[in-house]
Amino acid sequence: MPNIFHFSLLFLLSSALLCCSKNTPTNAERGIEEQILYVANADEPRELDPQLSTGTPEHQISSALFEGLLNRHPKTLAMTPGAAERWTLADDQLTYTFYLRKNGRWSNGDKINAHDFVYSWHRSLLVRLGSEWASMKYVIKNAEAFHRGDIDDFSQVGVKAVDDYTLSITLETPTHHFPQLLWHNSYFPVHQATIETFGAMDDRLSKWTLPGNLVGNGPFTLTRWELNKVLEVKRNTHYWDNNAVKLNGIVFYPIASQQSEVRAYRSGQIHLTYSPQMAIEKIADYQKNDPDSLRIHNGYSSYFYEFNTTIEPFTDARVRRALAYAIDRDKIVKLVTKAGEPPAYSVVAPDPNGYQAEALFGYDVAKAQQLLAEAGYPNGAGFPAAEILYNTHDNHRKVALAIQQMLRENLNIEVQLLNQEWKVYLNTKLNLQHSIARAGWRADFLDPINFFELLAPNSGNNNTGWKNQAYGEVLNAIRTAKTEQERQQLMAKANEILAEQMPVIPLYYMTDVNLVSPAVQGWYDNAMHFHPFNRVFLQDTASTTRQNNKQ
Amino acid sequence: MQEIEQGSSLTHDAYLRLKKNKLAMLSLYLLSALLILAVLTPWIAPYSYEQQDLELGASPPAVAHWFGTDVLGRDQLTRVLYGSRISLAVGLVATFVALCIGVLYGAIAGFVGGRVDQVMMRLVDVLYALPFAIFIILLTVVFGRSILLLFLAIGAVEWLTMARIIRGQVLSLKQQEFIQAATAMGQTRWQILRKHLIPNAIGPIVIYTTLTIPSVILLESFLSFLGLGIQPPQSSWGSLISYGVETMEEYPWLLVIPGLTLSLTLFSLNFLGDGLRDALDPRTSKD
Amino acid sequence: MLSFILKRLLSSIPVIFMVVLITFILVRLAPGGPFSDERKVPPIVLENLNKRYHLDDPVYVQFFDYIGNVLQGDFGPSFKYANRSVSEIIYSGLPITVELGLYALLVAIVIGITSGVIAALRPNTWQDYVPMSFSMLGICLPSFVLGPLLILIFGIWVQWLPVSGWGDAPFDKVLPSFTLGAAYAAYMARLSRGGMLDVMSQDYIRTARAKGLPNWLVVVRHGLNSGLAPVVTFAGPAAAGLLSGSFVVESVFQIPGMGRFYLQAAFNRDYTMILGTTIVFSVLIVLFNLLADILMVWMNPRLRHARN
Repeated sequence: MPNIFHFSLLFLLSSALLCCSKNTPTNAERGIEEQILYVANADEPRELDPQLSTGTPEHQISSALFEGLLNRHPKTLAMTPGAAERWTLADDQLTYTFYLRKNGRWSNGDKINAHDFVYSWHRSLLVRLGSEWASMKYVIKNAEAFHRGDIDDFSQVGVKAVDDYTLSITLETPTHHFPQLLWHNSYFPVHQATIETFGAMDDRLSKWTLPGNLVGNGPFTLTRWELNKVLEVKRNTHYWDNNAVKLNGIVFYPIASQQSEVRAYRSGQIHLTYSPQMAIEKIADYQKNDPDSLRIHNGYSSYFYEFNTTIEPFTDARVRRALAYAIDRDKIVKLVTKAGEPPAYSVVAPDPNGYQAEALFGYDVAKAQQLLAEAGYPNGAGFPAAEILYNTHDNHRKVALAIQQMLRENLNIEVQLLNQEWKVYLNTKLNLQHSIARAGWRADFLDPINFFELLAPNSGNNNTGWKNQAYGEVLNAIRTAKTEQERQQLMAKANEILAEQMPVIPLYYMTDVNLVSPAVQGWYDNAMHFHPFNRVFLQDTASTTRQNNKQ
Repeated sequence: MQEIEQGSSLTHDAYLRLKKNKLAMLSLYLLSALLILAVLTPWIAPYSYEQQDLELGASPPAVAHWFGTDVLGRDQLTRVLYGSRISLAVGLVATFVALCIGVLYGAIAGFVGGRVDQVMMRLVDVLYALPFAIFIILLTVVFGRSILLLFLAIGAVEWLTMARIIRGQVLSLKQQEFIQAATAMGQTRWQILRKHLIPNAIGPIVIYTTLTIPSVILLESFLSFLGLGIQPPQSSWGSLISYGVETMEEYPWLLVIPGLTLSLTLFSLNFLGDGLRDALDPRTSKD
Repeated sequence: MLSFILKRLLSSIPVIFMVVLITFILVRLAPGGPFSDERKVPPIVLENLNKRYHLDDPVYVQFFDYIGNVLQGDFGPSFKYANRSVSEIIYSGLPITVELGLYALLVAIVIGITSGVIAALRPNTWQDYVPMSFSMLGICLPSFVLGPLLILIFGIWVQWLPVSGWGDAPFDKVLPSFTLGAAYAAYMARLSRGGMLDVMSQDYIRTARAKGLPNWLVVVRHGLNSGLAPVVTFAGPAAAGLLSGSFVVESVFQIPGMGRFYLQAAFNRDYTMILGTTIVFSVLIVLFNLLADILMVWMNPRLRHARN
């Protein structure tokens, strides 16, 4: 009997001792010495093929491995030279000419030229490849017709290599945000010889993007990729601007949970977290205990509730407006979401270039009650059953609960909450089986049109069933507006229609909240969640965070 | 007549043995208290389970709120009480479903035997081979998530072990003399099943039931963790715990209190199950 | 014996087939497809994607095509990870899950047997209750609580152990193995306690005691031997449960095992991946249950004779 006690005691002690013996430096510490950045990168990237990859995590890696014609400045978001040294726009506002730099090289040493871009863009428009972002190229002349198979000859599409280093692009209509699109990964070039070594031009399942196979033109090159574990890139010595790159490599961890991400940061496994949002309670904790690590700034994104305007009682604009007037947004952002979000009275987010939609309504309980009574539901009497649909997530749940209570208290109507798993939620919205659904939108490029188009009658992302022809016409006018003043007036008009019709309830503009080690330099907060790695470096600072303040 | 006497003395013996096991008895009292609280919740809960006080937010236990409040300012005591209703109901109903299917299925397979038994047990094998936690995830994804479906889905998975145990029990009982005697006396199969086989298998059934309830409650908490549990603003222990885990450093009481409630319940059920096993299993009566 | 194993193996084929059929039907019933996303995929692209992955064929054709491919050892391409096949992913994830399961089993056995045996020596005293309560920690605290709790204590507060990973840093396997194993420790403890109680009341143990052997020697030499038989037979189903139940622990600790792939596949509607991992899990469960049965027959001579 004592024997067994001794044995178990010994077992416990020895295991405890084994654990104590550890005193190795953390990733964060080693990274500073070796100039290796350790980052969390949300979901495992589904693909690194720039023409096929879809989400922001993929984009993050793509932009380390590839470089488009243009780059952006991470601080100002202005377009800067990339694979192209300079560019011009002809007077017709339709033809762009890009002059590629002569010293551009692929990571295997091959020269990069204008034909590579033609090949890549051609590839992305092959329907059999199934690029989910192909429609992003529809602004180019005949691109849509080629993609749909109406024309077979790619030479009719507005992309031409004038010579080895000159690329000419003709657009369908004047599109003044076109240069911004070039920064998207679907516009990145791919290496023809590599693609064709591993499969056909339109082979979706090709293995060319695995480590050892992949050839890119970005500041880094792929060295390791183990699913659900780690993805590593190292300096690409053939990169034209290699001398300015300071990091020797980047290690991406696919950490999907916000909780795990924060734990990884705190234990020194990573230098920066990825998710644009952080668990609400962690924000307060970091504000108090580790403010040097916390970065909060406005994103270019909007959080709102979509009505299904095809079912009672939301067919009536007065009901939709009543609900919008009955929600106290200040309370939600201050007491529920708590990440400094500005309350929203228009679905269009204010942008850094200065556009700010006018607030045409506000929190007004008396007005809300009046509107509801006018619609035939005085004091909420006889209001049909309705549900707030949201996908499983802590923040969505809390916002929905707060709104449920506000509607109960202010309008005396009872809405249920319906929490669905992501794909089920998408499916419910797609089939217009919801009554009210939570939604969020992050803009692809810096222009208010991005948000306005969301609710266009023909928009694929309009989940409200609201098809307003007058609104559609205003949108068309905005697209072809000749002067900035005219454009501003039209956008104000569109905003008015939205406030009158209220197909969606704007709630707030999301902020980006990240943990960034103070050692990380050259990483700037910006509205587009755009963080290129080619100027980032690591430097030990005197700042004490919880990360390097070990017991 | 004789049987009933024998049966009652057996249960009486078992009860005496159970009484000797202090931990099992403590568990029994604890569970009864909890059950009473859960039943009385609508009358005794100090607040509404969904009424928020956003200004208050998360506040530690105090006089006004014994268990503190959650991040939306809802009274945690009330939510734990309402949570116990859901969690216990899930545990009891799902276990009852499992019990009914399992006992009937196992008894029929064991009693009829032969080819029918073969086929029936093959089906159990199939269901056994499904990675079952995962299978429930698929089920909730496919069929949405009403509480009723949750009960049914969990019950539909948990009956397998029960069926096996009962079948084994029936098979071994079938060999015994008093059954063969009953058959010889011309009793019908159904009579034998009802009068002899099921009463004799009651021990394992009770034991297994007390052990199924905790595993079902635990399963519900996993579903909550994966976001597949009950719909807010309702609460279950599982959902309270999974929210509590997220803020365990900032607001520890939001994890500790529902966590402790769940753990105590599961401890009690397990100890009671073990105690019942010791008490009902005649082999251990040698001591 | 050999014919028994062979018969069992043969009869598991229809079992696996049924599992595949059920899963196949279920995943197709789940709302939302592999390509649905917040930004809607243009219809023309979706049409081509469906064609590429043969989702436009009638469902029964898809099913028999799939079965045909599986019989040739091809689980198909993953819908989510375009450049990997399901076989590759399973090949990378399975060894990790198996290793994790093995360590967890070890943890469960060590904790379970230690507390079970100690408990059995003095039944119904505090020396029974304390170790049994300890062993039950794992089934009374869900692993999604135990895991983060251990991480907070050992990974963040005292910083003895890494918070995540598998084989990247020294000792990063300790916490996940413990978290997963803890859940089975209680069963092991219960079984070994019961087994020991049975054995210790046998006549030959009394004889041994009467001969004046020290108590602990009796326990070690005679008791453990047969008292732990139920534990051994339980190890099979336990291993199966550990393998297919590791997804929560793998998610909490960021372990690239098969459980995590399965979970993600279910949420991503990665059809081929769900089916592939289900098949592998089912085969494992069937094998481990078979193993348990063989062990039981082998350890129980009466049954052995009955078979022959």
